[in-house]
Amino acid sequence: MSLSSALNIAQSSIRNVGRQTSVVSRNVLEANNTDYSRRTAVVTSTAPGARVLEIQRATNDQLFRQNLGALSQWSGQSTLFSGMELLSVSVNGADNTGSPATAIGRLQEAMQIYSAAPSNQNLAESALDAARQVVRALNDGTVAIQSIRTDSDQQIASAVSELNNLLADFKNSNDLVIQGTRAGRDVSDHLDQRDATLKKIAEYVPVSTLSRADNDMVLMTSDGTMLFESVPRSVTFTASSALGAGTSGNAVYIDGVAVKGGNPASGKLAGLTQLRDTVATTMQSQLDEISRGLIQAFAETSTSQPDAPGLFTWPGAPAMPAAGTLVNGLAGTIRLNPAIDTAQGGNANLLRDGGANGAAYVANATGGSSYADLLIAYSDRLDAPTTFDPATGIDPTSSLSDYSTNAIGWFEATRQAASSALQASEALAIRSAEALSNETGVNVDMEMSLLLDLEHSYEASARLLSVIDEMLASLLAAVR
Amino acid sequence: MKASFVSTTAVSQALRYSMQRTQSSLVSAQKEVATGKVADAGLALGAQASQVISFSRDIDRLNGIVDSNALVSSRLSATQLALGKLSATAQDFLATLTASASGDAEGSLARASAATALEQLTSILNTSQNGEYLFAGVNTDVKPLNAFSDPASASKASFDAAFLTHFGFAQNDPAAASITAPQMDAFITAALEPQFLGAGWQADWSNATDQKIVSRIALNETTETSVGANAPGMRKLAMAAASISDLLNSNVGVAGQKQLIERAVSMVGEAIASLADLQSQTGIVEKRVADASERIAMQASVFEKHVLTLEGVDPYEASTRVADLLSSIETSYALTARIQQLSLLRFLG
Repeated sequence: MSLSSALNIAQSSIRNVGRQTSVVSRNVLEANNTDYSRRTAVVTSTAPGARVLEIQRATNDQLFRQNLGALSQWSGQSTLFSGMELLSVSVNGADNTGSPATAIGRLQEAMQIYSAAPSNQNLAESALDAARQVVRALNDGTVAIQSIRTDSDQQIASAVSELNNLLADFKNSNDLVIQGTRAGRDVSDHLDQRDATLKKIAEYVPVSTLSRADNDMVLMTSDGTMLFESVPRSVTFTASSALGAGTSGNAVYIDGVAVKGGNPASGKLAGLTQLRDTVATTMQSQLDEISRGLIQAFAETSTSQPDAPGLFTWPGAPAMPAAGTLVNGLAGTIRLNPAIDTAQGGNANLLRDGGANGAAYVANATGGSSYADLLIAYSDRLDAPTTFDPATGIDPTSSLSDYSTNAIGWFEATRQAASSALQASEALAIRSAEALSNETGVNVDMEMSLLLDLEHSYEASARLLSVIDEMLASLLAAVR
Repeated sequence: MKASFVSTTAVSQALRYSMQRTQSSLVSAQKEVATGKVADAGLALGAQASQVISFSRDIDRLNGIVDSNALVSSRLSATQLALGKLSATAQDFLATLTASASGDAEGSLARASAATALEQLTSILNTSQNGEYLFAGVNTDVKPLNAFSDPASASKASFDAAFLTHFGFAQNDPAAASITAPQMDAFITAALEPQFLGAGWQADWSNATDQKIVSRIALNETTETSVGANAPGMRKLAMAAASISDLLNSNVGVAGQKQLIERAVSMVGEAIASLADLQSQTGIVEKRVADASERIAMQASVFEKHVLTLEGVDPYEASTRVADLLSSIETSYALTARIQQLSLLRFLG
């Protein structure tokens, strides 16, 4: 041992402390960055007593994966739920006040009052007005549903392009990580960046990861489609310019494989797809069935002629829509019969007397103006059990007025399920983020106490240097 | 070595999520206190939300039926009043007729009374309410009874024609004085009865339909809620009054007049009985409507209770919850402030 070796050791200590301090200050700087993982400067001994530093990055793969999964679920459910909130307000109105069920109730009420004084033109007009509200609720509901579906379709398109960008970003960071690892450089920053991109990707599609040599990472969707392997796989989607009732939008393809929706929806893409193709479509089919039920309940009958649409009509008139079978988009095309609707130059008395389809359908043979039997019969038919298409998710054998309220029940049940799934996934996402942050985040207090240690160690080394300097000086003085 | 590591972000963010949740529950709890109902019925009830809609809709419909029953009731009570007046008219007429039949009163008195009775019958049966003729059946736009007193009216013309056809001369012809009692009796049976009690009534006298107004008085109960001018009581009264007022003012002889008055007495008697029948039938319907309204009001209040059980909240529980939430939010604030102060940096020189 010699003084010069002591000097070397002190020098290396000062160099180590310098690097450790830089790690600590970096940690403190990034304390509030959730994408940052804590670094530790690890000091190891080598044989001749020199010390080498290695930067370690705190990780917990288990928690990270759990956090990714929770993020996907939360993103999917929150997309679905906010879409349903929108559907609820634009189709059923605030507190269901604008729903077809409420409008049908009002129509029944107006028909009741009208049937108590059928000669009163004002009451006929108010019954017609209630019928107009029903048509408006159905027409507007259809427009709202179709625009929400088209919106979702557009959002899927922009989500897909965003996802492609993220995958390109992911490739850049992944390449840097691999190169750095092969060259033996510190790749912590690139790893942080890659993890941050991964979290963003997980918001769009649920991903599972696979680590390979040189820190290379492979991404797959949860149903096993390859998303990234050395290069990003292309995610493709063709947006539809308009989505008609009953037609599904295009699927999203990853690497040529259609993405499945999954239940509960996980990831924004699945959430949007479920909203576009399941929730909104079912709701539309229910509106269509309500419309068909209305046309049927108000159909005019004749002893010699087939039934024909009465107060409510459709483009297929004078034929009736086939019983018990869904007619896609009917809610958008249902209209008041121009022969009856006074706003279209019709005769309101035809509602009371029958005959909108010609003399064969007149029920009030004597023409008496207080004839109420037909009005009462219409009202009865709204309450009589009839058959609906079972594909709409509601009890197919019920009266029209029950069917319309059951439609609300169906929707609220779906919304309730989405809301509780959202709450659960939100809590999971936040808890797992917290746990992950506890594992990999920075504690400023800890770093400060480390800094105190480093200060002391620096002071000691500096002191050593000056002592050795003095010793060397006195040695040189003795030699002189 | 780390026993359990806590990151600075986790410490400062720890309360954030629970704070958010507490605040959003506070919003809905406040709403619940103010309205007494759950803040979002759809989320709280799920599939059961359909029941709330269905019940509230039924409540509105039931109240609507109560309103329309009020309309029906007013029609019925007007009808009842008119029937009462009609019955009184018939009774006055009967009293005069009986006096004439027993020879106590002049024939001209009976004739005047018959004319009054006929006029009153016409005016009562032509009563209208809210622009609807009460006794018109469903044909409420048209006056149910044509005036007989007008010499140009169809009823008068066909009466004259019936007389002429039966006897071969008009009632003012001198030959009419020789009509015997059996001849008059035959005329009433063969010519007058078909005209008043048969098809002639609707051809010449009445524009009312036999079909009555049907009303729904409860969710699944409909009933006829009007009385038509074609009821036998009215026809008989009209027949007696018309024939007396016309023939007692003609050349018909004493024997014929006497026979006519005798037949009229029994006819008006029958008319009174039949009017009483109508009155009691109308009374029964009035009672049914009133009962239905009462029943419906009860049903509506039961439905209201159901809705309340479904979507109502205990106001006491809700306001306690608001207080709890407020205090927990305050605690969170205090904790956050304390935690922000908790840093080693403050103690390092």
